[in-house]
Amino acid sequence: MNEKWPMLKIHNASKSFNGVEVLNNVSLEVAKSDVLGLAGPSGSGKSTLLRCIQQLEILDGGSMECDGKIGFMFQDFQLFPHLTVLQNLLYALNLGEKNARRRQSNEMQAKIMLKNLGIEAKASMYPYSLSGGQKQRVALARSLMVDPDVLLCDEPTSGLDVATTMDVVLLLKSACETGVTMIIASHDLDFLTKISNRIVLLRDGKIVLDVDVKQCQDPVNHLKKYYAD
Amino acid sequence: MDTVISNCIYLGKGLIFTLELTMGSIAVGLALGVFLSVLRHCRICVSLVRGWSSIIRGTPLILQLSIIYFSIPNLIGVRMNILSAGIIAFGLNSSAYVAEILRSGIESLPKGQFEAARTLGIPTFYMWRDIILPQVAMNILPTLVNEVIALLKETTLISIIGGMDIMRRSQIVAAEQFEYFMPLCIAGVYYYCLAMLIEFIGEKIERKVAYAKNS
Repeated sequence: MNEKWPMLKIHNASKSFNGVEVLNNVSLEVAKSDVLGLAGPSGSGKSTLLRCIQQLEILDGGSMECDGKIGFMFQDFQLFPHLTVLQNLLYALNLGEKNARRRQSNEMQAKIMLKNLGIEAKASMYPYSLSGGQKQRVALARSLMVDPDVLLCDEPTSGLDVATTMDVVLLLKSACETGVTMIIASHDLDFLTKISNRIVLLRDGKIVLDVDVKQCQDPVNHLKKYYAD
Repeated sequence: MDTVISNCIYLGKGLIFTLELTMGSIAVGLALGVFLSVLRHCRICVSLVRGWSSIIRGTPLILQLSIIYFSIPNLIGVRMNILSAGIIAFGLNSSAYVAEILRSGIESLPKGQFEAARTLGIPTFYMWRDIILPQVAMNILPTLVNEVIALLKETTLISIIGGMDIMRRSQIVAAEQFEYFMPLCIAGVYYYCLAMLIEFIGEKIERKVAYAKNS
């Protein structure tokens, strides 16, 4: 498939909650294997846009088309607390899978993924015993297990310290290498410029800026100007 | 001393009846309660479930028991034995309370748990069975234990339709021997022991599922 084939097309998307417009005619195309950063102040509509793409919210107007399976990584992880790390990864995948060999290969795949993320020792532990960074890794691993074509990440670094944020950058970068298209919502511009090749700035539910990170000399400062206006 | 022992044995036979009645009722109450609380999430059925809860909670249990044991056989022409009528009446009554307890448990779960299940493509039935209800059960366990203990004590109402439970037997002994204190004390000890047993089992289960308490 053409690398620049649009994986996701959003046309005039609008959404309001209790009369307050959160998305205002947002139109966007995301190419295959693109890593798109969604920047913007709190309440600008980043999370709502992601939730609409995942169909956790229904659009009031406009349309969205996605050419593949979508994975979602929640801001607060939303791991299943009564399942172990390994069970969290495998549950959805093994559901209805009667073939023992395939179940076994799923388990192998999950273990390899945990190993790659450096948390293979936590496989049999419950989420409450993990640190924030470890939960983040499990959440990423779980969303990658279902083999998504598009991965949506909602504030993947919120509440994490600098070192763990760097780990998350590396993690997401390694996920990008698998060719998955990513849309990452964050208010952390440094983080976004490290990971994305394109950044879209949302303000009051509208796209106010669309930056190609490689073409821009100082993307962080460039984006900051639009934050302040 | 012989009288005490023979009274204990006589009342002990009622203990088995009380246990059967309580266990049967809680099984019906739990099954129906879970069904009702899940049904509450279906838009068409919300009013139906609310109506059911309202009627059950708004009328006395003794009335419900009388309707099931005396009126319904009259209407449909089939007689019911006391234990079955008791299990149906107490079970239906308990289902409304269990459904309410479950509702509060479900509402206390983060919305994200439902959303996470959806984003992973988990079908609704499995989401409820494997993701939502196990977490809810863990949260509501102490309240549920209270409900079982309350139900155990409510089963004493079975005596009004002639059920030979601990309470009824203690009254029979008291009437025969013109001695109320001793048989009632024995009944009290039996009920207390049963309640403590339920509490003990509840605590055991709670400890076993405490894996997620800090999450």
